[in-house]
Parts: sequence; structure tokens; C-alpha cells
Amino acid sequence: MAIRFVRTPIVSSQRALTARIIGFVLALAIGAIVLGIAGFDPLHLGTQIIVKSLGSRFGLEDLGLLYTPLLLTGLAVTVMAKMGLWNIGADGQFYLGAFVTTAIGLFIKGPEPFMLILCFFAGAAGGALWILVPTLARAYAKVDEIITTLLLNFVALLLVYYVATGPWRDRVSGTTASTGRVPYKMPEFFGSLHWGFVIALVAPILFGLALRYTRWGYEVRLSGSNPDAAHYAGIPVRRRMISIMLLSGAIAGVAGMLEVAGTVHRLQGGISNNYGYLGVMVAVLARGSPIGVIAGAFLMALILNAGIILQTQGLTTSAVLALTGLMMLFTAVADQFAHYRIVRTQAATS
Amino acid sequence: MTDQAAPPTTDRPVIALRGIGKVFPGVIANADVDFDLRAGEIHALLGENGAGKSTLMNILTGIYRPDSGQILMDGAAKTFASPVEAIAAGIGMVHQHFKLVRAFSVAENVHLGWKDTPRLASKSVLEARTRALAERYGLAVRPEARIDELSAGEQQRVEILRVLARQARVLILDEPTAVLTPAEARTLFTALRAFKAAGNSVIFISHKLDEVLEISDRVTVLRGGRKVVTEPTANCTTTKLAQLMVGREMVLGGLREAMKPRTEPGRVVLALQKVSATDDRGRAGLIDADLPVRAGEILGIAGVAGNGQRELSEILTGIRKPTSGKVLIEGVPVDNPSPDIFIEVGVGHIPEDRIKSGIAPALSISDNAVLRAYAEPPIAQGVLFKPGAADKLAQQIADDAEVTIPSLSTPMRNLSGGNQQRLVARREMRIAKLAIIAAYPSRGLDVGAISTLLHYLIDLRNSGVAVVLISEELSELFDVTDRIAVMFKGRVMGLYETKDADLETIGLLMGGQTKATSASEAA
Ligand SMILES: Nc1ncnc2c1ncn2[C@@H]1O[C@H](COP(=O)(O)OP(=O)(O)OP(=O)(O)O)[C@@H](O)[C@H]1O
Ligand SMILES: [Mg+2]
Repeated sequence: MAIRFVRTPIVSSQRALTARIIGFVLALAIGAIVLGIAGFDPLHLGTQIIVKSLGSRFGLEDLGLLYTPLLLTGLAVTVMAKMGLWNIGADGQFYLGAFVTTAIGLFIKGPEPFMLILCFFAGAAGGALWILVPTLARAYAKVDEIITTLLLNFVALLLVYYVATGPWRDRVSGTTASTGRVPYKMPEFFGSLHWGFVIALVAPILFGLALRYTRWGYEVRLSGSNPDAAHYAGIPVRRRMISIMLLSGAIAGVAGMLEVAGTVHRLQGGISNNYGYLGVMVAVLARGSPIGVIAGAFLMALILNAGIILQTQGLTTSAVLALTGLMMLFTAVADQFAHYRIVRTQAATS
Repeated sequence: MTDQAAPPTTDRPVIALRGIGKVFPGVIANADVDFDLRAGEIHALLGENGAGKSTLMNILTGIYRPDSGQILMDGAAKTFASPVEAIAAGIGMVHQHFKLVRAFSVAENVHLGWKDTPRLASKSVLEARTRALAERYGLAVRPEARIDELSAGEQQRVEILRVLARQARVLILDEPTAVLTPAEARTLFTALRAFKAAGNSVIFISHKLDEVLEISDRVTVLRGGRKVVTEPTANCTTTKLAQLMVGREMVLGGLREAMKPRTEPGRVVLALQKVSATDDRGRAGLIDADLPVRAGEILGIAGVAGNGQRELSEILTGIRKPTSGKVLIEGVPVDNPSPDIFIEVGVGHIPEDRIKSGIAPALSISDNAVLRAYAEPPIAQGVLFKPGAADKLAQQIADDAEVTIPSLSTPMRNLSGGNQQRLVARREMRIAKLAIIAAYPSRGLDVGAISTLLHYLIDLRNSGVAVVLISEELSELFDVTDRIAVMFKGRVMGLYETKDADLETIGLLMGGQTKATSASEAA
């Protein structure tokens, strides 16, 4: 008898899930062992994480506030992946959404509900604007969108740092790298958790429904699956690609808008908190499924939240980052392992 | 038979399949199949579309695991967990749809995933090795060429070389001649005979019965996943084989009789005037083509594949834009041709390469079946797309195409090759109000399905639709066309009334010669 690993090209979702759970548990175990060696009590830390994030109202609020932007950035990346494209620039689009919202908040006065609606659309437009150049470059000159969207992140970051430390800096409290307070607030419904959370939770569902139940959705699915067949079917593939990329940018922009109007209430240098990049991870976890984004973003929010709790327990930021990385690594490895099955055979007679 | 000189085939099988069964959700692909392959034989595997031929071979080569049954090699039980293991044991397969890496060179493809590939080999070393292998097996390939640049025949030689280079004793060919020109098919047969003469074996899947009679020593017929019979080819005729495949007397032919006599030439519904177009690599694909396509007639386009047929069919359906010249619909020049214009007026298109441009293999059967109808009621309603209505239409198209499908949500790629083709053909005929452009529509279809397809094309013609039938099978063209044009090196060489044309003239034109030139050459 011999034992071999054999790769199968297609993996059932049940199998993929099992592999991930195993990977997750392994990552936890390794993390616990390392923490144990470093002199921490892993069991205590573990209980702390669970109790503090899921066992209390404040914990749940914090979790919800982390969950909201991750849902949207994860969705933004997934939307573009439907067309076989990668949006690595959700961070930049997030910044733009936040930037535009802050601009409106600081300089335009009006009734709050109306202003919030204005912010919502302006934030979406800001995100869409930020991906406009990569979109046109991709659609008309086949310029790789991965690089262009990524580069624009740094531009957005510089822009936000510039206004937050320069012209718009907070002159009242003197906080560094932060603008003054934005007066318009998303209404809250559960402690500090605001309605933006509901918007973020509904968005992936809406997108999933649109893919399945609209003509546009059919055209996007066909164009993403085989552009030649879409062209053959008379679908304007380039226009669908443009609409998808702008939508992706707009969703990330809305995430930035909600972060300002719902959670932070001002524009800060590091306001994106890497949500855009984490969105890529959420999309990978979701395996291209809009509904999968809801689960993937939740897992990511839990991990982030656990990281914050661990910091309060005396772990350094880099240790927390290492633990987060460990989780991601094991998920990725598990995804690969799900492709393999073990077979036992008679040993070859050669 | 001409194979007297071949070494005697021994009765001890190299490979024996015993009681193989395989069920996919909703389909029994194989049930209780026994199959023997002897050393030094070419064994043909026949059966209707969806009979389970490809599945059986995928089981043998370790792509699928059988649900039941056993594989014996040289008398010993074996399981192959992957094609890599099968090839290591000497069994190699060339698939219905090639699996080469298109952006890689021939030499790289031959050496990909091969344990004998030298580590850190330079490009020139790989190319030299490939050249040596090509010479040894008598397969002409260009080691430095990229796969995208190659014709179907050349790609197939690369696939075969890949397999032979790994010292296969058993070569499995799944519909190898479907995409070959007649000349390429001859080259292939010569190579197969040489391979067999060395004591090796071939399993040969084909729907072309005369080829089967010509090349094979024995024939096994599958029907509905079960084995019907294994017979020496010498005892078979095409009629007998066709009958064994479908399980009843088959009435083929009757095509001419079904064609309503034409009183006068129909109006010109599509026309090309001095149209030129480039191919995918930017070279001249179509040169100064003039072609009137008339209502109520079948216009045959004869020619060796790769002489501008793809460009012609894409110009006639708006997929490709001409570089010069005019395309007219109902006498009106089309300013900026695009596919939606042609769909709108009712031009159906069975494309040359269905996998590449006619379907989305990863999407569901339902999504693929409604590709032509998704934007209209009842499937579309305003901006909405109604999956329920889509399923209903898809089921209807599948029924009309005589394809049994397990579930409409199965990915299209899980259908057998011939069944994919049947669905595409039905889908396109459904929308062909004005014209249908059918490029090699019978590729991959079984004999019965070809006959049905041709009858449907005749029905369309009789009802006043213009039919353009691009084909390499002269017999098919002479059976059903009203007129025949010949393509050679991107040019339309002549347009003949089929009843006035003779095989010889057309055959010569396909090679770029006219009777006069060939006579003067002979002199
Ligand atoms: N991966 C799969 N999943 C589900 N069904 C499958 C799969 N592969 C094959 N089938 C089904 O099994 C049956 C046999 O298919 P197979 O490809 O073996 O037919 P075939 O004899 O090669 O036909 P053809 O002449 O059309 O190529 C078909 O009904 C097909 O739809
Ligand atoms: Mg097949």
C-alpha cells in the first residue's frame, strides 16, 4: 500500500469550509503555543477575546463598527473580481469617500438628513472618481488595473494627510493629523452602531440579487466568464467593464463616507485603517461570492477586534499583526489543501 | 485489409476494463462497461453524443474515479489517481479540447510537467530536444512557435508528441480528426500506423464512420453508457455501426428530396462587397471578398480550414470589423458593424470554435442556452432577468436539441462535447429569422445528429431563411447546398450552382488551382 496526495481541480464548498475550519483551529493552536512560551496565558487571552468581543454590548458595538467598512471594501473587491479584475485601490477610494464627506461637513451647511444623503452620493462619486483613470486606462489601453489602483492609494493618502495637517487641521482641540469635527452624524440604533452597518450588510445581498435577477447582472456574469462569448452575444463588454469598475470604486467610497459620518466624525491621516487592503483578503475569503463577503468580513472583523483586545492585554502591535498574518496564512494554506485528497493504492509494480 | 505486415495482435490485453460504472448527479455516464485493448491494435470507440466515451477514457487516465469496476494493466489491477500517473504507466490521452498552454512555445509545452525535463534547461536545449523527439516520431512541429500561432492540426501534433515523448504504449485520441483538414488527418493516420507497427496500441474515438473503418482493427460501441458490442472492424459496415450506436434502423439521407425546388433566386439578404479583414494576428485574413447571400438558399463555403473562413463568418455576423469594403443587410450598407445589429435583424451564428466564443463553459446550461434571448420578454422584463423563464426556455431548447440534461444549473462544461454543439446549434437556429451562418456545425456530432442538423438547415432554407454552411466535408456540401463558393488564402475563388459543379473543380480550387492551371502543370 502506498499513500499519495492527488490534486482535484474543483472543490466542493463543504470541503473548502472544513479545510478552513481546520486551518483556523491550527492557527489558533500555534498562536496559543507561541503566546504560552512568551509567558502569556493563552487560555485567559482567548476567553478575554470571546468575552470582550461577543459577550458584551460594547464588544458587539466595536465589532459592528469594524465589520461595516470591511463588508463594503470586501464587496468592492468582489464586484470587480466578477469581471476578472482586481481592485487593489479600495484604500484610496475609501480615503476619497472620507475626504469628500469631510469637505461637505466642514464647508456646507444644511439640514442633517439631506446632508447625509448628499454625503452618501458624494462619497460614492469620490470613490468612483478615484478609480476613473485606472478604469479608462484598463478599458481603452489594457493597462493593468492592479498597478494603477494600487499607486493611487498613495496619492490619496498624501492628499488626506495634507488637508488633515494643513488647511483643514483641527484648530480647536489641536489633535495632530486630524480635521475638525464633521457635524453630520449617521443615526445610531445600537449604542454607537449606526445605520451604515445596515447599509453595508444589505449591499452584498443587493449585489448578489442584481447579478442573478437583472439583465445587467447577466451581462456582467457572461462578460466576466468569457468576454469573447459576451461580444458574440452583442454585449458591450467594455461598457460593462467600466460600469463594474466605477461601481467598485463607489462602494469603497461609501465605506469611507460611513467611516467619517458614522464612526470617526472627522478626517484623520490613518482613517482607512487598511480596510481597503483587508477588503482584498475578505474577497479572497469570500471566493467571489457576494454573500460570502458577509461571512468573510465577519471573520476579518473578529480577527481585527481580537487584535485590539490583545493589545489591551499587553501584547505589542507587531505581535498582534503576526497573529493576524498567521490566521490569513493558514486560511490560504487550507484553501490549497482542500484541493488535495489522499488516496491509498497498491504500490506500483515497477 | 492492408495491415498484413503488422505484427500479429496478441489476445492478451494490455488494458482491460472490467465492469466500469460512473454516475454523475442525474446521469449514468458509464454502467458495467468491459473493454479490452490488445497490444498492436487500433481500437475504435463509438457511440452517440453523450454515450459515455470521453468519460470512460477519463476514468482510464485517472481524471475521474470509477464508482465501480476495475482497471487491469498487463493483468494487474491498477488505479491511476491522476493523468500524470497514467502517463507514467504508459497511457496518454489527447483530449477533445486541447489542454496546451497557449502562451508557451511548443518546446515548453512538450516539456511541461515531465520528469525527464532537464533542470535549468535553456530555451535552445528544450528546442533541440523537441526537434529530436519530433524527428523520432515523425511528427512535424516547430519547437519555437507559440501555441496560439498554430493550426488545430499542428496543436494536435504537439499534444501527441507530448504523450509519445513520455514513452506511452497506449495512446488515446478523443475525436482527433474533428478539427483536422483531410490532409492533416492523413498525416495523423500515417503516424498512428507507425506507432501501432511498433507494437503499441491506440484507442480512437470518432464520429466519422468511414475513418473508423479505415484505421481501426476492432470497434467497441457504447450506448447510453453501456457497452453494446466489440467487433473486428472487418465485419462492420457504416450502416451496421450506425445502427449499433442508436439501437435501431437509421434513416439517413433524403436530404436532396427535402429541399423544395427553387423557382427563382431569392433576394440578397446579406452581401459583402470587396470586403477585406485582418485575422487575429493582424495579417490579411479576408481579401476583397464579394459574396451575395440569398434568402431561401443554402450557400456552401468550401475550402481547407484556415483560409479565411473564420474571418468570413465573423464579418457576416458583425463580430469582426472589415478593414475595407462594404457589408450590406437587405441592400443597406452597415456603417459600423457590431454583433447586436446582426442579432437584431435575426442572423444566427454557429461559431467555428464554440468553447472560445460561443459559450461560457463555467456558467450554467441555462445561462448559456438563453444567450440569444436574455434581453427580450419573457426572460427580460424591463431591467429584470427572470431565471425561471430562462430555465423554461433552456429546457425547451435542450428538448429540441435532443439533449438530456441532469439539471439546468450544471455548468455547461459538464455536457459532452457533442451535446454542447447541439445546444448551440438549436439556440442559433431559433433566432435565425433572416439568415444563419453555420461554421462547421457538424463538428463533434454523431451521425444521427448530423442528419437531424442538416434537415433543420434545409427546413430553414425552405422557409426562406438564408443559410451559409461553412464546411470541409465536400460530400456534406454537395448533399445540401444550392450554391458553393470556395475559399483559398483569404479569397473567394468562385461561386457555382451546386448542380453544375463537380467535385474535381471544387477540389482543385480548394488547393488554389483551376482546371486550366492543373492541366498545364500536368503537361
Ligand atoms: N463532470 C461531469 N459532470 C456531470 N455530468 C457529466 C460530467 N462529465 C460528463 N457528464 C455527462 O456524462 C454523459 C457522458 O458524457 P461523455 O462526455 O462521456 O459523452 P461522449 O460519449 O464523449 O459524447 P460526445 O460524443 O458528445 O463527446 C453526458 O450526459 C454528460 O453530460
Ligand atoms: Mg466526448
